[in-house]
Amino acid sequence: MKIATIRTSDQVIIPLQQHDGAVCSSLVSVGDTISVGQLIGDGEFRIHSSVSGEVTAISELPHPSGREVLSVVIKVHDGANVHEGASEESEPEELSTGKIRRIIRDSGIVEPNGRLTLRAKADINTIIINGTNTDDLTANAALMTNSPSEVIYGLKALMKTVGAKKAVIVIELGSAALQVMRTETIPDNNIKIIATPTYYPPGTENVLSRKFAGKKVPRGSTPEDRGVLITSVTAIKAVYDALHGTPMIKKVVTVAGAVGSPGNALVEIGAPIKHVIDECGGCSGTPVKIIMDGAVSGMAQYADEVPVIKTTTGILVQTERDINREPQTPCINCAWCVDECPIGLMPHLLYGYADNAQFDKCAELYIGDCVECGLCAYVCPSKLPLVQIIRYGKHGVAEIAAAEMEVSE
Amino acid sequence: MTYTISPPPHVKSNETVKRMMWGTVAALMPVAIMAIIFFGLPALIIILATVIAAVVTEVVIYKAASQPITIDDGNAVLIGLLLALLMSPGVPVWVPVIGAVFAIAVAKYIFGGTGTLVFHPVLVGFAFLLAAWPTLMGTTSTPNLGSLWDLILENGAGRLIEISPAAVLVGGAFVLYKRYVDRRVAISATILLLLLLPIVGMGSQLPYVLTGGYFLGLIFLAADPITSPVTKRGRFTYGILIVVLILIQLHFDAYFTGMCFAVLLANALGPFIDRNTIPKPIGGK
Repeated sequence: MKIATIRTSDQVIIPLQQHDGAVCSSLVSVGDTISVGQLIGDGEFRIHSSVSGEVTAISELPHPSGREVLSVVIKVHDGANVHEGASEESEPEELSTGKIRRIIRDSGIVEPNGRLTLRAKADINTIIINGTNTDDLTANAALMTNSPSEVIYGLKALMKTVGAKKAVIVIELGSAALQVMRTETIPDNNIKIIATPTYYPPGTENVLSRKFAGKKVPRGSTPEDRGVLITSVTAIKAVYDALHGTPMIKKVVTVAGAVGSPGNALVEIGAPIKHVIDECGGCSGTPVKIIMDGAVSGMAQYADEVPVIKTTTGILVQTERDINREPQTPCINCAWCVDECPIGLMPHLLYGYADNAQFDKCAELYIGDCVECGLCAYVCPSKLPLVQIIRYGKHGVAEIAAAEMEVSE
Repeated sequence: MTYTISPPPHVKSNETVKRMMWGTVAALMPVAIMAIIFFGLPALIIILATVIAAVVTEVVIYKAASQPITIDDGNAVLIGLLLALLMSPGVPVWVPVIGAVFAIAVAKYIFGGTGTLVFHPVLVGFAFLLAAWPTLMGTTSTPNLGSLWDLILENGAGRLIEISPAAVLVGGAFVLYKRYVDRRVAISATILLLLLLPIVGMGSQLPYVLTGGYFLGLIFLAADPITSPVTKRGRFTYGILIVVLILIQLHFDAYFTGMCFAVLLANALGPFIDRNTIPKPIGGK
């Protein structure tokens, strides 16, 4: 699998929020000349510039989440965009735990689900790397086939840091990465490759923990509480880069759908998606929808100047032909959504209650456990907007909870 | 450049309620055609008249209530066709026509239309006709599996549906494969019924169960997606409940009608089963 290297955009937009959490504060101001790899945002985690150039604006700009977020706009200077990593080469076993932990934190590594790789100090026994591909996004497989030793290096470093005894890399059957990673891990007895039939959604942490580490996660706690750390190929590769002096400033992104040459590309954080699409052959046909992160659970974008951020895994372009505009009809209780729900919820009941603003009922049916994978709405023969209404229900439940807090205070 | 935005998912399956209904109608075509071939003109007239009556009733009622007319979703056609297949070929044609009107007007429309039904409209219509004109609804013969040939073409068929168990099973396999009916209910009930009969000492009833009417009842009526429960455990429970009710009816030698009333009674308990089998999400205690 090839990872294309694309031309750097003339202008990059780096949002100061690239994870689940508060917006970072900017460390630069308009007019500053900055170099690649320079720290430009700090807070709960760190953001580095992916290019060398001049800061032309710091303002609220469109963000992949659909909101407007404070972003640093950098006009790129020609050349000089190669980040000089540290040259020292040492085995992960030789580094000190504290140093690795500090480097991981300082490099601003974010998982594709928006969380930090090392959230809290916990007793970790097993690390699970989710190497499966969501929808038709193949960035994980591409990363593993292209740089298997880097992935293993990063994994060993992370295992040492958290004190994990073993690690599991989950790859789906038929993936090109399977053979490569199996060969790569022959000398390591404590790193296991698990081949799994394709299932969806592959990234649900509690499901991963139960399926591949045999640890059920009770409601209300995280896999870390059971000694399981779940991470991604992207983050592991970023750990390798961080230990070699490069913070998280680039990302492998799958460009798919109606584009000239679909595939994986190494993209600077902050590159506008229009630039990435153009570099991958441009749109074929009239684009109607641009979706970030996969067709089933991704986010449709309203503007094509939205930048690639650290959580971006793919860009999908859809034309009118790809879009299903079947009209909505009433629910017929066929229970297809109940059969599909990976969490074991009752999506059609949640839909009904949320649609009628019966939020107390939603809470009784565990609406908060929904991971918004979108499977229910995918299979629904009545074409109900289940995800949208369930989100509304979650919002309603949260509002009631907030109001109750106020009353009790 | 403006783009369409919408909540996820951005791809959806091609299955729609319309396809489910028309697909089920298509699955009933083999047995309907067999019935027309072997019973001749009366069967054709009964099927056409009942389907037309169901569709016309739906149009009239929805028009009178100023609601959008949804006959193109195939539900009315399906109800008419199923009801027609439950008739014996000698029945006066106005009987199933009244049954179809009752099924659509009372069992479907009053209960809120497609999707919100408690009782299967076909069974309600059938029960109504049975109560109103018991002599007209009787059949001249009761089918049973005498030889294996009876699985293909039953020579003791008393109703249109009983003409060919094989034709029902072909359509049944199609709807089960496409999930247009509920697999858990249909498969659990069929297997359990066939296993339990000899065990409870009613093995002599087995030939009466291996007929088209029973296969239709278990696959198309009991496992109907609208009236069967929705929780996974609930659907198994429902299948078991139907089998128990059928066994009780069989004990009193009520064959086809017994099966219909067993499903109708189970319909009533469906919401109760659902309410008590709400699953815990993963990790729940």
